[in-house]
Amino acid sequence: MKFANLWRKPTRWAVFRIDDRPLLMGIGLIVGICSGLAALALNRSLEAMFEWLHHYRHYWWAFILPGAGAALSSLFLDKVAKEGAGHGVPEVIYSVSRYGGLLRFRSAWSRLVSSCLTIGSGGSAGPEAPVVMSGAAIGSNIARYFSLNDRQRVVIVGCGAAGAISSIFNAPIAGLVFTVEVVLGEWTAVNIVPIAIAAVAGTEVSRILNGNQIAFSHPGFHIDLPDIAACIGLAVVTAAASVLLTRALRSMHHISAKVPAAPWARAMIGGCAVGLIGFALPVVMGEGYHSIREIITNSFEGGVAIVAVATLAKVLATSLTLGWGGSGGIFAPCLVVGSLAGLAYHRFLVLLMPSVDWVAEGCFALLGMAGLVSGILQAPLTGIFLIVEITGGYGVILPLILVSAISTTLCHYVEPASFYLKDLVERGHLLRPGTDARVLSDLSVNELLETDCITVSPNMSLRDFIDVIKRSHRNHFPVADEETGRFLGMIQLQDIRPYLFDPVMYDAVILEQIMDPRPDVVHPNEDLSEVLRRMDARRLFSMPVVADRKFLGMISKATLLDQYRKELRVQTVVSG
Amino acid sequence: MEPKLFHIFRNTPLGRETLLQSVYFCKTVGADMEIYLPEHTKFLMYFENDVVQIDLDPSYLTAPETARDHAGALAEAGKIRYDFLAPKHFTASTLPDIPTHFDFMCCPRSISDLSSKIGLGYIGPRVRRIVQSARFPVLLTSSVFKPWKSIAVFFGGSTNAVKSLKLGFRLARITGMPLKIYTQMENYSRADYEKVIADHGLEKAVADEVAEWRLFGTGDLEANLYEVDHDALVILGAFGHGVVRDVLFGSKMEKIQSAMPNNLLIVGPKYAAIH
Amino acid sequence: MMKLEIDEVALSLDVSRTTVERWIRQGRIPIRRKGETCRFDQTVMDRWAQSHSLIFSPPDDRRDDDERDADPETLTAAISAGGVFFDCEGDAAPAALRSAVDRLDFLPAPDREILYEKLLERESLASTGVGRGVAIPHPRAPLPGFPESPVIATCFLKKPVHFKAVDDRPVFVMFVLLSPSVKQHLHLLSRLSYCLRDADFVDFLKTRPGAPDLLEKVSGFERRLDAADGRPRPA
Repeated sequence: MKFANLWRKPTRWAVFRIDDRPLLMGIGLIVGICSGLAALALNRSLEAMFEWLHHYRHYWWAFILPGAGAALSSLFLDKVAKEGAGHGVPEVIYSVSRYGGLLRFRSAWSRLVSSCLTIGSGGSAGPEAPVVMSGAAIGSNIARYFSLNDRQRVVIVGCGAAGAISSIFNAPIAGLVFTVEVVLGEWTAVNIVPIAIAAVAGTEVSRILNGNQIAFSHPGFHIDLPDIAACIGLAVVTAAASVLLTRALRSMHHISAKVPAAPWARAMIGGCAVGLIGFALPVVMGEGYHSIREIITNSFEGGVAIVAVATLAKVLATSLTLGWGGSGGIFAPCLVVGSLAGLAYHRFLVLLMPSVDWVAEGCFALLGMAGLVSGILQAPLTGIFLIVEITGGYGVILPLILVSAISTTLCHYVEPASFYLKDLVERGHLLRPGTDARVLSDLSVNELLETDCITVSPNMSLRDFIDVIKRSHRNHFPVADEETGRFLGMIQLQDIRPYLFDPVMYDAVILEQIMDPRPDVVHPNEDLSEVLRRMDARRLFSMPVVADRKFLGMISKATLLDQYRKELRVQTVVSG
Repeated sequence: MEPKLFHIFRNTPLGRETLLQSVYFCKTVGADMEIYLPEHTKFLMYFENDVVQIDLDPSYLTAPETARDHAGALAEAGKIRYDFLAPKHFTASTLPDIPTHFDFMCCPRSISDLSSKIGLGYIGPRVRRIVQSARFPVLLTSSVFKPWKSIAVFFGGSTNAVKSLKLGFRLARITGMPLKIYTQMENYSRADYEKVIADHGLEKAVADEVAEWRLFGTGDLEANLYEVDHDALVILGAFGHGVVRDVLFGSKMEKIQSAMPNNLLIVGPKYAAIH
Repeated sequence: MMKLEIDEVALSLDVSRTTVERWIRQGRIPIRRKGETCRFDQTVMDRWAQSHSLIFSPPDDRRDDDERDADPETLTAAISAGGVFFDCEGDAAPAALRSAVDRLDFLPAPDREILYEKLLERESLASTGVGRGVAIPHPRAPLPGFPESPVIATCFLKKPVHFKAVDDRPVFVMFVLLSPSVKQHLHLLSRLSYCLRDADFVDFLKTRPGAPDLLEKVSGFERRLDAADGRPRPA
């Protein structure tokens, strides 16, 4: 029994008490393998489902399939898993920001099943976000099992996400970079090593079971100067496509929210609509990896117009699937839209300047993917490394960096927060480590309470009060009822200074007459950012903290600054 | 600050009984009440090393327009200080985060099963998770409101039993109610239990403040439970072992709660005793 | 290796206990858990604080400082330590000071010399004659090395001396005030002037009372002061 307990609390072993890095690496390895397996499971079941449903695709009623799939996935999430819709990545980031990465165990499987239903039946969505969610939840629960603390748990949650992304794309660096750039938002050596190990483990799992294949391999491209110049135009196109996709998703969400129907019925409508589009343009169906492969290898049929329409149709299908209640991520649709946009741009260029010797169209499709990923996630490094790894295309790294950087910058002008973070930023829940918001949200009013004020009675004379002033270190004196202890008001030394030097007033004035009966008070549960905002707005330097009409102490900017600096140091400097 | 009890209000006759229990508890031990009127069937509680999703059954959302008035009227009638809790943070748009800094929490025995099963039944898995992770004791109420007149502590000698004994002393001092201790002796003698009490420096308190200490050397637990007063608030500690052990050996908490309709105050392993 | 409790760590870091508990939960502070209690190693904590450039001074260092300031010497004790002297010679301020300093036999001769110079230096800034025939000569800063606890030497002059006092009245008694810290000095000065504000006390001084009578009178005043401060009188 004792031994079993010790086993579950490795943080108490002498070895790991001093330095927990080996421990985090070990747990990171386990988590990487588990989340890699989860990603693989989703991948395999998607393939199986696709195979199985393939036989029915040519029937006229096949358009119902995505609808049924989306409805089932919505029902599953709502009734069985009892979780909300959505792809889950914001939930992971929220939990990492505010609760040290605590995630429910059910999140480890719920999104896998629901997204499998949505995507497998033909809905336009990606399996990556669900896999990230489930990897993160696996990590969180393993960390919980071992009783890790918040800081360690966050790293392990990152390991889960990294393992999942690495496994599903066979791309370890992309997994690592995505986790650090998007999920954690903090680059420190303590974080990166376990996450890198998890990424390697996740990749290895996928290589052992699925073979080491590059997802979208392509013939080599020969890039010339005109191509690089054209990249700038491509970046503008991809940025526009990113903004379009983001906006379409959001507006579709608002439209569907107005439809008076059960969530599963809404998902059904969205899914059927996707099915109908799919009749005309099959490219929009599913996660679309197959189409990307076609595009990259220069074998996609159709002229400029058709490709442009396909791009828009994919945007529409994705927003119909996700906005109306289907379950899945945005990553794979991004890649499809990006490659289509790149293709359309290339064909337009060829049409415009047929005399120039342009590089093969697959290259632009590839760059387009990077542009879209960078634009939507506003994570340029993730875009660059992901595309390099999934296409094996280190040769195109220069234009790749160019497109990613420009696309991210342009999108940032139009949409200041990325797709994953937008909700969080709007609710004020994005608390990246080491930022003002994070420090303020960690500190609480209770921690800053100064309790060395002397409470006085409203009936005290000014003469007696002067003795109290002599003894006090502070300039603030709360006035409270002697019997009930009720807080009545405050006396600030600076307000009553004129009376202090006038002996005539000493016996003539009682404190009730000179106190401020309605000072601005703070409740101990209030958020510090709110308290500070009020202090700034009213030019106050300190405020009394009052709960249940009882004076608890003072909160002042001086103490706050002191604590704030300590907190910031504790949070930012790497601790061993 | 006064201690705070957290209550999730269910706007049904059953919920009214539960609220009456909470109101009585608050009034007796001098606690304030924080009432949550759920707007969604689920919410999250983030504890120190666990997050618990609580799925309420749909009856919690009955007639939301009258819920505030109903709850307010009952609390008002009990002359206790109360407040409505409005969740500040949301993990997802329909998934509020409920703070966990309370001193007590009131739970019906199960909050996710249908309330039509009005018998004692089992403690729901969610309630069990709350008990396991919370720093506050959980008040499991009987289904119909009944004021209690004394306090009974089940003392089995474990760390948690000591914590529940301390809580019992605290409540007995506040309420002025008689405190009785019940011990089911399992292979130990009275001296062993007295040693545990002495080790925690409680022997004087036990000698001075305990009305009666009943030790059962014979008979099984269920039979002896009859000896506990019908109008006592029962305080007992819960253990931190897992589901497997509970299924194999049966949980004592489960045994007691299924045999006793009394109000139970359960002290979980994470409970931090306030002196 | 020294072990610390949560409260001590909070005190050493000058943060609240809640903060330390949160840091433990968030894993920001190195800790040894044992069952449900937490322990901190002094050396580990020192290193941790240094790496975060925080000040970590263990509470007992600080308590020493506090103790020295916490209970200042009472006026009665200082007067009794300094002694009461009668018939100091001299017909001008410097001469009176000279003869008063020479009577302070608890100081070695070279120190008396330094003290005399310091007193003269202070008098040249502004007279220490506080009126009603009383002067409180003192050096402007605590003298290095002596004395260890504050002393007040009460010196009655043989004949009143002109001291450039605030009210120009000749001085008949001097309280030579020596203290190891400015804080003690101010404390005693404020207590002494509280006594001197009382006209009866000055009249009492004019009777040139002996040490026992003077001490009794002064301790009476001090009792009143302590009562007003709400401070229990040290036994």
